[in-house]
Amino acid sequence: MGESERDQSSATKPDSYEAAVERLEEIIDRLDSGQAGLRETLDLCKEGKELVTYCAGELDEVGEGLKELRLDDLATKLDTASEVG
Amino acid sequence: MEESRIAPPGRVAPDLPGPFPVGTYARKLQGWMRERARVQLIGEVTGVGRSKVQAYFELRDGEGAVPCAIWLNDLEKAGLEGAHLRDGAEVVISGGLDYYPGGGQASPNFCFRATHVRLAGEGDLIARLEALRKQMRAEGLFELQKQLHRPALPRAIGVVTAERGAARRDLLAGLERRGWGGSLIWGFAPVQDRHAAPAIGRALQDLAARPEVEAIVVTRGGGSLADLWAFCDETLCRTVAMLRVPVISAVGHERDSTLIDDVAAVACSTPTHAAEAAVPLDCLAARESLERCALALRRAGEGAIGTRSRHLGALARGPARALQRERSKLNQKIREIRAASERGLADRAASQRRIGTLVLERARRRAAGADMEKRRDALHRAAVALRAHEPERTLERGYALVEGDGGEPLTSAAEAGAAERISLRFSDGRIRARPEQRDEA
Repeated sequence: MGESERDQSSATKPDSYEAAVERLEEIIDRLDSGQAGLRETLDLCKEGKELVTYCAGELDEVGEGLKELRLDDLATKLDTASEVG
Repeated sequence: MEESRIAPPGRVAPDLPGPFPVGTYARKLQGWMRERARVQLIGEVTGVGRSKVQAYFELRDGEGAVPCAIWLNDLEKAGLEGAHLRDGAEVVISGGLDYYPGGGQASPNFCFRATHVRLAGEGDLIARLEALRKQMRAEGLFELQKQLHRPALPRAIGVVTAERGAARRDLLAGLERRGWGGSLIWGFAPVQDRHAAPAIGRALQDLAARPEVEAIVVTRGGGSLADLWAFCDETLCRTVAMLRVPVISAVGHERDSTLIDDVAAVACSTPTHAAEAAVPLDCLAARESLERCALALRRAGEGAIGTRSRHLGALARGPARALQRERSKLNQKIREIRAASERGLADRAASQRRIGTLVLERARRRAAGADMEKRRDALHRAAVALRAHEPERTLERGYALVEGDGGEPLTSAAEAGAAERISLRFSDGRIRARPEQRDEA
């Protein structure tokens, strides 16, 4: 992996939680293989930590307690907002 | 072309037969309709009304409707009371087309004249469901939803269900067990009557139109196929198939199979199962897994540095260790050399001693040689001198030696005279003799 590619991959936000977990598993597998050199290991750890942070953030988004809304209420609010607007 | 068909003012389509009196035409129409084949129809009853002699209703499904009428006595013969012929009932009717031409005051009326009616049985509904299923599968409508991406961790889920029902409670419990705490948008709708399918369809479309909704669950509890028939509604199922948000159906119990199950992205047997399908990720397990990943990453990073720093440390200590090793080797060599040297000195001393001995021996021998020469000369001279004194030399000069019988020299006349026998020894031999007389000197 080239230097610019590596920078780009670690800086890019994952498309989804699944994509992040999939990449995280790849990283762990690569690290477990023991074949990564020092530079690659440190880069992978950095990228992995960013992915863990992203995934933790996603889990936090749905971890604050279930919020129940009614479609009717949302539609009413929308109508009210459009009338005010 | 179109303009040429427009009749000129005052004349209506002059190329057509007629004009006929409308009453005549109406009666002929009645006759023609009554000659049409008699058939059976199945559908949902709506708009039931009654007169003194007959009952009116529409028989309807997702594709269309037909106005129907049945004489009350035929209705009684069928064993159906008024309560059975009600809105929402699925019925099978048999009969044929009919037309009432009306009269001077009465309005004409077209209807399907039912002569027999019965509530649709499970078999009728299954047959109808299979026909719909076959048609929609052939159109590829079952695959559209299944091709949609279902996020593992949706932030908002829409739910279409009855406001008061066990399905709602079970779905909530399932989501909470999953550890999911996102937004749940309820789209409440009736789930069992002729209004159900259109209301469910509208709720689904409204939920799908909301950008935050990433999956929609449609659920209701169990019942007969007739009870669940709204979820086999063709219009509703076509709507579901065309939605761009994945729909998860959980209608009825495990053995129930409705058409919405076929078109949905996922069909579940229970609301609890639907909760798991709507949130594929077990959030509680995912948190634990994420913690393990974080730990693995930390260990990998620290391990990589630690291993290499230990290796570097070992490399850094290498020269000193090598020096120590070489020093030890050198000391050993020194000890060996010293020991060898000591052994060499001893050997050399012994060797030198041997050499000295040899030298001395040789010197001694050399010294001894010179002495012998002198001695030999002296001996020679002594021998010469001795030989000069040897009796043989005297004998050679003409003397003779007198010896006794035993060879002892007899040096006096007395001794010779006393001996009985004597021997006279000359240089060239000896002779024996007997003294006869002794002469006095």
